[in-house]
Amino acid sequence: MVATTNQSFTQSSSLVKNENKLDINTSTSSHQSTIFCLSSGKGKCGIAVIRVSGQACRQVLKDMAQFHHMPIPRQAVLRKIVDSGNGVVIDKGLVIFFPAPHSFTGEDCVEFHLHGGPAVVSALLCALHSIPGCREAHPGEFTKRAFMNGKLDMTEVEGLGDLIHAETEVQRRQALRQMDGDLSQLYQGWRADIIKCVADLEAFIDFSEDQDIEEHVVESVKSRVGKLRLEISRHLHDNRQGERLRDGVQVVILGEPNVGKSSLMNALSQRPAAIVTDVAGTTRDIIETHLNIAGYPVLLSDTAGLRDTADKVEKEGVIRARKRAEQADVKVVVLDLQQWQNCKNNNRKSSITEFVISQINSLGLQLYQASASSLQILNADLSDSDSTPQLVDEEYCQTIIVLNKLDLVQGNTLEDLKSIDNKVLNCAVGSCLEAQSGRELEPNSPVDFPSVCCVSCTTGEGMQEFLAILESKLKIMCGDPLAGSPSLTQARHRSHLTKCLADLEQFGQMTPADDFVIASEALRRVLREIGKLTGKITTEEILDVIFRDFCIGK
Amino acid sequence: ISGVNYVTLNKTKGPAVWGPRAQIDRDLYKRHMQAEILGTSNLTVTECAVEDLILTESQQSASSITKSICKGVILSTGEMVESKTVVITTGTFLRGCINIGLSVRPAGRIGDEPAIGLARSLEKAGFTMGRLKTGTPPRLDKNTIDYTQCGVTKGDNPPEPFSYLSTDVWIKADEQLDCHITRTSLEIEQIVHDSLPENKHVKEELSGPRYCPSLESKVLKFPGRTHQVWLEPEGFSSDLVYPNGLSCTMPAEYQQRIINLIPGLQRAKIVRPGYGVEYDYIDPRQLRPTLETLPIENLFLAGQINGTTGYEEAAAQGIIAGINAGLKGQNHEPFIVDRTEGYIGVLIDDLTTHGTNEPYRMFPSRAEFRICLRADNADMRLTRKGYKTGCVQRARYESACRMADLLDSNLDLLRSLKLETYKWDELLSRASSRPKGKVKSAVAVLQMVSIDELIKVQQTELGHLQSDRILKKRLEIEALYMLEIEKQQEEISEVRKDELLVLPMDIDYLRMPNNRGLPNDVRLKLAESRPHT
Repeated sequence: MVATTNQSFTQSSSLVKNENKLDINTSTSSHQSTIFCLSSGKGKCGIAVIRVSGQACRQVLKDMAQFHHMPIPRQAVLRKIVDSGNGVVIDKGLVIFFPAPHSFTGEDCVEFHLHGGPAVVSALLCALHSIPGCREAHPGEFTKRAFMNGKLDMTEVEGLGDLIHAETEVQRRQALRQMDGDLSQLYQGWRADIIKCVADLEAFIDFSEDQDIEEHVVESVKSRVGKLRLEISRHLHDNRQGERLRDGVQVVILGEPNVGKSSLMNALSQRPAAIVTDVAGTTRDIIETHLNIAGYPVLLSDTAGLRDTADKVEKEGVIRARKRAEQADVKVVVLDLQQWQNCKNNNRKSSITEFVISQINSLGLQLYQASASSLQILNADLSDSDSTPQLVDEEYCQTIIVLNKLDLVQGNTLEDLKSIDNKVLNCAVGSCLEAQSGRELEPNSPVDFPSVCCVSCTTGEGMQEFLAILESKLKIMCGDPLAGSPSLTQARHRSHLTKCLADLEQFGQMTPADDFVIASEALRRVLREIGKLTGKITTEEILDVIFRDFCIGK
Repeated sequence: ISGVNYVTLNKTKGPAVWGPRAQIDRDLYKRHMQAEILGTSNLTVTECAVEDLILTESQQSASSITKSICKGVILSTGEMVESKTVVITTGTFLRGCINIGLSVRPAGRIGDEPAIGLARSLEKAGFTMGRLKTGTPPRLDKNTIDYTQCGVTKGDNPPEPFSYLSTDVWIKADEQLDCHITRTSLEIEQIVHDSLPENKHVKEELSGPRYCPSLESKVLKFPGRTHQVWLEPEGFSSDLVYPNGLSCTMPAEYQQRIINLIPGLQRAKIVRPGYGVEYDYIDPRQLRPTLETLPIENLFLAGQINGTTGYEEAAAQGIIAGINAGLKGQNHEPFIVDRTEGYIGVLIDDLTTHGTNEPYRMFPSRAEFRICLRADNADMRLTRKGYKTGCVQRARYESACRMADLLDSNLDLLRSLKLETYKWDELLSRASSRPKGKVKSAVAVLQMVSIDELIKVQQTELGHLQSDRILKKRLEIEALYMLEIEKQQEEISEVRKDELLVLPMDIDYLRMPNNRGLPNDVRLKLAESRPHT
């Protein structure tokens, strides 16, 4: 191992940082292979794009596009493309040259835009193979090179991945924003803050005694840590909007057997995804389908009807349905209006509100489920370093109650239904459920009442209204990716930031009587966690800050 | 037996960063050390300049980085001294130049010739070399200083000895010499600026080290401030005072003017002006962790020649190079201290993997495992290791073993001594904060109260500790850091888990820019070993 150290030292060419210093940050010139791949979709198509990246690009241009001088950078040129092995013309197409470092990967890059026939593509790939040093790229290798050459950082790479995989409009907006470095900037800012805090504290530990470092440095670190704590906890407290938008919102259809859950599913997905019969208990396992609703990605699940049953298979289905209900972001509870009609016929007093409440109770659904403990930081005082963000356990409800089979109710019942104002109904149902949950209603509480709407899956009546309600719920769950600070999109980020926050809090609780070194260890851990998000932080970076900001040395 | 002033630094900030320091009487030190060395059996001491190395070509394959083997040295008298291994510790002498003002003359130190021949030999042998600078302050005449205008720092009482074998230092606490402190004044800034055209050293230093070793760089980088000056005595019988903080390289007359603008030094006389030294160092990435060089087998380097600065830094390398030169001569296994075992390991690992472009100084912040690397537990970390290698005497080893047994048995005792939390609070008459029912061990309690308080309430179990001041202190420190050290162990195992990740073989680790995740040392190591996980 030691052998190569020395080689790299002697072959060094100066790179990136510290040009004024000795050649400490050096690298050998790249001897890595040149990679190529078909970047457009596979199969017959109008145009195929093949990308090449690496040192052999100039050779490729010379041999295959027969340039004697390199073409003007980033300008498309129409050329005959030749297999340099046998001189046969493969196709006529556009060639673009992106010289390093102004390319996606940071290396020399070439793009061929050819006609998209499979034979053309495979001929070109074969021809590239025959050029020395060229090989087909592994999946993701272009991006990996871009990352390694410093063109993208980790969050930007993740954004790019999301952009490529984005299936809906709102996902695309979020991914583009992340790839553009918005999230990266936020994290880089925190990184810089925490480096400064650690540097100040380390300077105080290392040098305060016989150098000029004032005591107030520690106080100032404490207050900055407090501020950072607040910022990170705000970022974390987003109800997982960004992650939901990236991974899809879990919408679960629930209800008794034979109320029309599967019909609703089919109506939403506009295809017969689930089998619909008039036999109660037709759906047993969970049926999932991915939908794009108004630009939001939705994972819609149809579940077995909730009832006590002796059938082993159906029983398991009910257990799964309840489990899925717990994980749901939005619950769609389907009720059968015919049942209300029957109730009314038997007992004249039964109002729609009473009906809905009794149905929901008999389903045994917990509509007010505790969401991840959320932080309420409304007007917290930033200047007060000791103010710990308040933790409030807030119950959360995103539920839509669908009264189905509108087409099957008649007469008085129908008229009664038509006379009901939906808003009043929502409020009435909501307040009843609130009261049941035993929770005190706070003024301005951010909790939404469940929304109630009437539809007929058979005729499509009321479906527009239902979709509008669903859309508004999705919007709440995902947020607007373009408004405000960038969202947290990956569970990975959440886990690192949560650890950061815990250690920042440990630091915040330190009193002057406690051991300084232990306090500083907490901050050093924060540094490592932030480093996992944004790239590792080295001792040299800390020392750079110490020597920049303090006069040290004797 | 030469210290004149003993102080433990950082006393307010937790035992992990306590730093015992002693000012040494130069004359006494020289006398004692020479007596020790000259009195060592089987040791021949020769004083003479070394001009060249005796080298033979290495038998290894041409691709190997080791080109030659060192078989001894050639003295300036032409005499050949043959040996199995050679250690070079040239300090600033390797092609050294002294700068005062605009004058430059070749010298390793005031009054000493530089080593030029040796530098050429090393260059010829294929070492990559660089140049570094350092400086020294003017020396003042003690009798011309008005100490009444300065602050006083006395030595510690009681003064703590460095060695675990000593319980006291050689002098009484009140016999220690005082150190004094004063500050520069703002008026000196103008003089520094005026002197710049006549200051060769500083002009070139502008792109120098990040910290500010010289008065000039302090003034230039941090204008509008006053700076501390420590007035340190050089010894009991010396009239020289070392004004720590005043390293400078301007012409002597400017130095005198600056000195006289400092409170307490208005009448002070410079006995010898400060000066800058420029010297060669070899890129320490050409060293093994034993400090043996890669290009030349059997040749070891230590100290400033490797790009470091400072006494401790030099001593740390000296002992490693010396031990390993001895071991290699006897064909024994090398002796390597790693980053988790001591600051020596951090220092050598940093140097041999990162290299350095400024005089490297050790800072506690460079150590990842700082809370384990403490002055109080050096014997637990290193003494047994050293004994196995043969560089620790039996008496010291046995004393460390005794202490280890004592620590182990008493920590076990403290761990097993468990009471419910509220009982502890009652006993210690502390406000009870926790709900009842939780059980806490005495170790956990010791993280909050002093050991003396604990002994007072647990006389029967812990009474035997009462009289052992050193053991009590050590138990207290162990308990304090126990929790934190456990957390670090988790981190280490987390890192190990990451190591299971499979890496492709063709990543060019060296091309990855610095700010994207991997520090240079990691990258070089990866590039070398190309691990597949």
